[in-house]
Amino acid sequence: MTILSQLNGPAIYAVCGGIVAFVAVICVVFMIRAWRAGVALGMDKTKMRRVITSSVTFTILPSIGILLGVIALSGSLGTPWPWLRLSVVGALHYETQVAQAAAEQVGMSSLSAAEMTPRAFTTIALLMSVCIIWGMLLSTLFSKRYLKKLGGSGSSGGGGAAGFGDKAMTAMFIGLICAYVGSYIGGFVSGEGLFTFSGDWTPLAVAGVSALTMAGCVYLSEKKGMAWLESFSIAGSMLVGMAAAVLLRLAV
Amino acid sequence: MNEQEKRAVFERYNERTHIIGRVVSVITLVLLVGAPFVLGVILGAMPDVGAVAKGFVSVGLVWMVSGVAEYLIYTPMLGAGGGYLAFITGNLINMKIPCAISARDMVGAKTGTAENEVISTLSIAASSLVTILVLALGVLLLVPLQPILQSEVLQPAFANVVPALFGAMAYKYFRGNMKIAVTPLVVMSLLFILVPSLTGSTSFMIIPSGAMAIAITWILYRHERKSSDK
Repeated sequence: MTILSQLNGPAIYAVCGGIVAFVAVICVVFMIRAWRAGVALGMDKTKMRRVITSSVTFTILPSIGILLGVIALSGSLGTPWPWLRLSVVGALHYETQVAQAAAEQVGMSSLSAAEMTPRAFTTIALLMSVCIIWGMLLSTLFSKRYLKKLGGSGSSGGGGAAGFGDKAMTAMFIGLICAYVGSYIGGFVSGEGLFTFSGDWTPLAVAGVSALTMAGCVYLSEKKGMAWLESFSIAGSMLVGMAAAVLLRLAV
Repeated sequence: MNEQEKRAVFERYNERTHIIGRVVSVITLVLLVGAPFVLGVILGAMPDVGAVAKGFVSVGLVWMVSGVAEYLIYTPMLGAGGGYLAFITGNLINMKIPCAISARDMVGAKTGTAENEVISTLSIAASSLVTILVLALGVLLLVPLQPILQSEVLQPAFANVVPALFGAMAYKYFRGNMKIAVTPLVVMSLLFILVPSLTGSTSFMIIPSGAMAIAITWILYRHERKSSDK
């Protein structure tokens, strides 16, 4: 039995599907409560219906983008786990980065089914779960007090202090990306011996194709009025980059 | 219903929202962190907690800072119900926040009001249900495609998911921030070229690389502030 057939087994689907179903029930409960509260507060039902309809239509396209992310991760982690992660809590860029970091910690050179073992998978799954608990944890501990303190002041956290905070956050992600892109360059130049330029060039080529695709998406959405492309830009660029890996391997 | 009665209804609703929100957040947390152990029982291999701790130090800290900032910034926008739901269902920046903001703008609700609380909860609940439904349908359709997805020819694609992600993100983040990106990129590339064995610990190299980028950002920020003060 291959690792992927294990990871796609019915028991794994049952566990992941059960959690997804639980979260779906939470959404329904919150929706019904909010609707009833709106009615009790005398809010216009047509307005509330319009909010639901617009949110549904707003979400369909980005959801398809997220589905592409499930497909991208399913080749190394099986389908049920990425399905759970991207249905609940997660986001594609987060899941992929953390999964890669966890893969390194268990001695894998890359996040792929070829090197995956059941222990590596459960370790990766645990790190993916632990690293993104902060929003839930903080809202459990502090939301009531935090919102009371704000007292409906209408603040959205955007003041002078937020200025550097936002920039530092962007800088942190830039640092993260530089470390990985640097490793692809280093892998190619010195992967098979210092300055031999005979290491694995595929990651560098894939990153290049993916970046170019992203540039194309940004151009079309910003300059050609195709704003809907934004929802697909990351997942779409990833899939084009991944397709390039297949074609490059077939060609060389 | 007069204003006082409305306020009482809203306060009762809010109070219960916090209770339900806390309970379901804790249950979801337990389910999500417990799931890898349950999967470990099914697969006969428990997670390597030591490796998880090391991974957390290298990459988890970055996400912790980002998670705290997201919480502080978005909770006031989303209110109680919307906040609990959004943090449980994820995909905040790319979906839930724009969705809630556009719903709020459509109705003209103001942050911190009872109307905003109801609207953002309705919006995020509807959005989350659609995502869950689309993914569930998609996964159902993926099942017959499994043999194709597992074929030998497609394996290079799945082995390069991470470079594909970082390529796309590099364009997104470097664009307009080249002054910040160039130094860490050059330093990291040189380090990986001169010490190829570092490739196995790329996630640890995020720390010096991130520190460098933040230091450069701080210098540029100070410079900008000084120039605008003059």
